Amino acid sequence: MHKMWTAFRREYFSRVKTKGFIIGTILFPVFLGVLFVVPTLMMLVKSDKPKQIAVVDQTGEILDSLLVALNDKNEAGERLYALIAHDADDLEASKKTLSASVEEGGLDGYIIIPASIYENGAAEYHSKTVTNFQENNRIESALNRAVTDKRLQRSGLEPEKVRGLMREVHLDAIPVGSGTEEKNNAGMTFGIAYFLGFFIYMAMFIYGALVQRSVIEEKTSRVIESVISSIKPFHLMAAKIFGVGAVGLTQFLIWAVVIGLLSFYGSAFTPKAGGFSMPNVSFGILFFFVLFFVLGYFLYATLYAGVGAMVNSEQEAQQMMLPISMFIIAPILLIMYVIGNPNSQASVILSLIPFFAPILMLARIVVATPPAWQIILCIVLTAATIFGLIWVVGRIYRVGVLMYGKRPTLPELLKWIRYA
Amino acid sequence: MDTLRVENVGKSFGQLEAVKELSVAVQAGTVYGFLGPNGAGKTTTIRMIMEIILPDSGQILINGQRNTSTETLDRVGYLPEERGVYRKMKVRESLEFFAELKGMRRREHGPKIDAWMERFEMTAVRDKKLEELSKGNQQKIQFLTTVIHEPNLIILDEPFMGLDPLNADLVKEVILEQKARGTAIVFSTHLMESAEKLCDAICLINKGQKVLDGEVRSLKRNFGRNHVALNYNGPPDFLVELKNNGLVERYNDSGNYVEIHLRNGASPQKLLATAIQKVEVLRFEVVEPSLHEIFVATVKENLGRDTTDTLHFTLYTLHV
Repeated sequence: MHKMWTAFRREYFSRVKTKGFIIGTILFPVFLGVLFVVPTLMMLVKSDKPKQIAVVDQTGEILDSLLVALNDKNEAGERLYALIAHDADDLEASKKTLSASVEEGGLDGYIIIPASIYENGAAEYHSKTVTNFQENNRIESALNRAVTDKRLQRSGLEPEKVRGLMREVHLDAIPVGSGTEEKNNAGMTFGIAYFLGFFIYMAMFIYGALVQRSVIEEKTSRVIESVISSIKPFHLMAAKIFGVGAVGLTQFLIWAVVIGLLSFYGSAFTPKAGGFSMPNVSFGILFFFVLFFVLGYFLYATLYAGVGAMVNSEQEAQQMMLPISMFIIAPILLIMYVIGNPNSQASVILSLIPFFAPILMLARIVVATPPAWQIILCIVLTAATIFGLIWVVGRIYRVGVLMYGKRPTLPELLKWIRYA
Repeated sequence: MDTLRVENVGKSFGQLEAVKELSVAVQAGTVYGFLGPNGAGKTTTIRMIMEIILPDSGQILINGQRNTSTETLDRVGYLPEERGVYRKMKVRESLEFFAELKGMRRREHGPKIDAWMERFEMTAVRDKKLEELSKGNQQKIQFLTTVIHEPNLIILDEPFMGLDPLNADLVKEVILEQKARGTAIVFSTHLMESAEKLCDAICLINKGQKVLDGEVRSLKRNFGRNHVALNYNGPPDFLVELKNNGLVERYNDSGNYVEIHLRNGASPQKLLATAIQKVEVLRFEVVEPSLHEIFVATVKENLGRDTTDTLHFTLYTLHV
């Protein structure tokens, strides 16, 4: 135990003390923040400035309604869209002049409402960028409303009354029994399931590779023989996996504290940023997240350690990683289906496969509540697989770390496992 | 009680029998040489002693106990042939790490490490990363990891390989000092000369089998005093002539130094008289045979004439 503790400490501190770890730990939340918050902020900032939009109204009556419908205002109370009527006797000629002034910057865009809009339901919006979906949607729905109102009036109906009759129903989808009942809507639950799954996915890749690199480093630097003359190879491997795992947990802890502080002190200003708020994750889900993180980590870290022991360099490891990577990537490809159909037979079977379980069973737990027996069976199966893998990889490791040169073939590998 | 006993140990890798029925005993306070050409099975045997490789048969006792327990192996210091360091670790940290891996507690190894670093002139670089050190200094650090925990058995696999003369002397000094403390030292080498000077006893192995073992002194005594060491200046043709006229059984010429094995009953005086006529003799001495000579004679005896090819190969590798 004393020796394992020594090896564990070396593994842990030699990683935590590096610049790479410190930078990575700080950068990740920053990166995450940039990923989520900045686009929301950007949109708000961008749409603040009123836009000059010319309107060529060939019906002669839509523009007035459009002025009413498209009346979004910014924080200063100005209209976001200043609509300017543009008379066009010759449509093609007007298009040219308008396009020219859009390019010069005098105009932000122009809308062409053809006389046939009541029948065809088609209008045109010309602008420098046409990929601002939020803006396109706004203009489209305002135009829709203006045209529909006119159509209703023509048929002798009162638009206000009809709108009242046609009011939409909003469906709140709330999962039962997972403890998140009050707050989270379907979108949020989906987001949590996906985010947690993705987090485990990244963690398995990153920390698994760290374990592998550590094994390869000892092999290529030839320090390994001195080390395993003092500690059993199996204990060294275990210390390594625990050491790197502890590095991961340290990182999580730091992030958890940072996120906690942010959501506590930051809630004063974040909600205004486009309705971005912290999801409400229950304690139960947190527990399963940590559990499946640990299971997934041990499963893949062991595999990575085995590959590390078989190869001579990181380049060689890359080639052998493909099958393992597939096992990690597959659940991320399947997660959409599983979240959508958490209780289908396929989802149940997929989430019970140990190599997929850490991501898929967790996703199922978040979105629905699988029967307890499935969760228990899944954990037992995964744990059993981990123990089996540790046994096999421990043997490969013992022989492999002293082997240099040619990569072992499958029969050779089996021989290692038998003789070690 | 012997510090190390290897009893009828065998190990095969598939078709290859790396070590066959090998038995070795090493006493406390002696330096034991493990000699043989590359690929003879030295490193495999040493790895089995350290329990890095498990033997197929036989057993290994250290201080009278099986080497399967970690406590037993904690009393051993080991310098492998494949050497390396944790490049990113600091010098002192790395010494602490290896001392603790050998079961030392934090509070007991501190002064010892400091004393050794002082002696090896490493105090100035204690907080440097190992990758910043010269190759020679890295080797010194590795050598230190084999002695800090005060083992009573030290195993050195080719310890002088890649060492400059100054550091080689330092290592030799420590080996002799440890020997005086009662530690048993086993070292393997394919260089007969370094073994001859340091070892109290040796074991010669070839192709996984013991060819010869025993105390160096008695091995030499038993081999008789019919060897002549001759330093000369001139053409080496006289040696062929000496052999032809039946005075010399065998010789090993190095250009200006030759070791001559006289035929039984031949007179060294006659040899000198002949040599003086042909070349300038700088030194002439009747000596004990070198280990090299003993090895050649023994292998020839054991294998017979038809295997001279193998023998030549063996001798060749012994010299590289």
